[in-house]
Amino acid sequence: MATAQQSAAPTVRRGVQPLRAGEGSSFLWHKLHSLLGIVPIGAFLLEHLLSNFEALKGPIAYGAQVKFLNGLPLVRLLEWVFIFLPILYHACYGVWIWLRGKSNIIYYPWAGNWLYVAQRYTGLIAFAYILQHVIRQRFMGVMLPEHPYAAFHKVQVELSNPWMVAIYIVAMIAICWHFAYGVWLFAAKWGITTGATARKRFGYVCVALGLALAIMGLASIWAFVGPDYKNAPEDPARAVSLLVAPGAVFAPVTARIVSI
Amino acid sequence: MATKTVTFEIKRQASPDAPAAWERFELEWRPGMNVTTAMMDIAANPVTADGQPTTPVTYDSNCLEEICGSCAMRINGKARMACSALVDNLEQPIRVEPLSKFPLVRDLQVDRSVLFENLKAVKAWIPIDGTYDLGSGPRVYPQQQEVNYPFSNCISCTCCMEVCPQFNEDTGFVGAATIAQVKLFNNHPTGKVLKEERLRALAGDGGIQECGFAQNCVEVCPKRIPLTNAISDVSRDVLLQKAKDFFAK
Repeated sequence: MATAQQSAAPTVRRGVQPLRAGEGSSFLWHKLHSLLGIVPIGAFLLEHLLSNFEALKGPIAYGAQVKFLNGLPLVRLLEWVFIFLPILYHACYGVWIWLRGKSNIIYYPWAGNWLYVAQRYTGLIAFAYILQHVIRQRFMGVMLPEHPYAAFHKVQVELSNPWMVAIYIVAMIAICWHFAYGVWLFAAKWGITTGATARKRFGYVCVALGLALAIMGLASIWAFVGPDYKNAPEDPARAVSLLVAPGAVFAPVTARIVSI
Repeated sequence: MATKTVTFEIKRQASPDAPAAWERFELEWRPGMNVTTAMMDIAANPVTADGQPTTPVTYDSNCLEEICGSCAMRINGKARMACSALVDNLEQPIRVEPLSKFPLVRDLQVDRSVLFENLKAVKAWIPIDGTYDLGSGPRVYPQQQEVNYPFSNCISCTCCMEVCPQFNEDTGFVGAATIAQVKLFNNHPTGKVLKEERLRALAGDGGIQECGFAQNCVEVCPKRIPLTNAISDVSRDVLLQKAKDFFAK
């Protein structure tokens, strides 16, 4: 055996190269990609969907939530370190992983294989959506950190375009799918659900999680496009001060303000 | 033609760099016929369906009972063992191609030595060689034997690697079979002396992290080895080993 190994002089091999045992750093980069998907990106997604859910309570409540978040200590640093940079890395490395995989769904149309493909497409949809979402909602138009109460109006104007509503709905579903299956993958690939039964059971948990998040997200979209808060004022905080003036016309919000 | 026949379409290639071409064969049906016996029938009478004389088809096979792992090939698009691919269960014409992820030698014969290299890279053995009698090994309890036995069933057919979307020249992924063998040998009371080395090897480029958990391996495995369980389990062990190494430095 030992002699056979020595006689096998290094030659140029065709085909897939053997394992480069213990060499390189791709293990670290892969695991970082995987971990970032859960923390902080997944955690941020939960926060974002919960915050969006406040929109169902109207422009004032929504603005208050935006104000609260922007009042966090070191918020601009948190934003970059725990949101923008992790998402950028996760997305770019994810595309890199996608490009190196060779899907064979035509020959092997099995459930796990479909989910493997779906994870790539939902990830790409999520990335494309997040790019435009961050640019248009965070870095363009009214600056929400300075004018948190303008948030509802800003999103409502964005969603006044039916195409945009469609994009938001598709992206919401894709992102919740990507996250829910990502949690499942994380548990499987980090050796938490090592058994087939455990993976199946946790699969139901992740389906429930994904569905719950998607429903919450879609309900939030409804808050902006539905009949409850039509034509929210640009700055409801100002509307509060205008409340004393005669002719304040924004009925639902004023009704709510009165109830507060 | 009163006798029942079966139709085969076989991808032929004379050498690694020669052009590939399909050849059609019309064979007499026999009860219990499988894809390897069909190859033998062709070798006995190497004539295509058009009556053209040709060469016998080159392919690997040995045991003919799905235990040696030699005759893996793509049959109607799917990787499987030719000896257990019963003609009666296959849609015709039966299209037979070589495995696509391994360097072609000739016709249906491919070079699967990458698996052997990978097994060597993770030290998939139990070190018992010595200059003196080491005595009997530690006792392996039946409960542990039951866990390990399925992994010892691996026949190195490489079907799990062929169907894996991550096993390709870009990733150089090690594949499920090798990872399952790491679990087998790490579980062994004597084999686990090399456990740390195996785990560090699997964290190298092309290692366990390349798994995308598409789970094709476990679907295709002719020996029904719980490959995804092994990947999950060994992934955790590799991660803990790397963390231990990092903090112990």
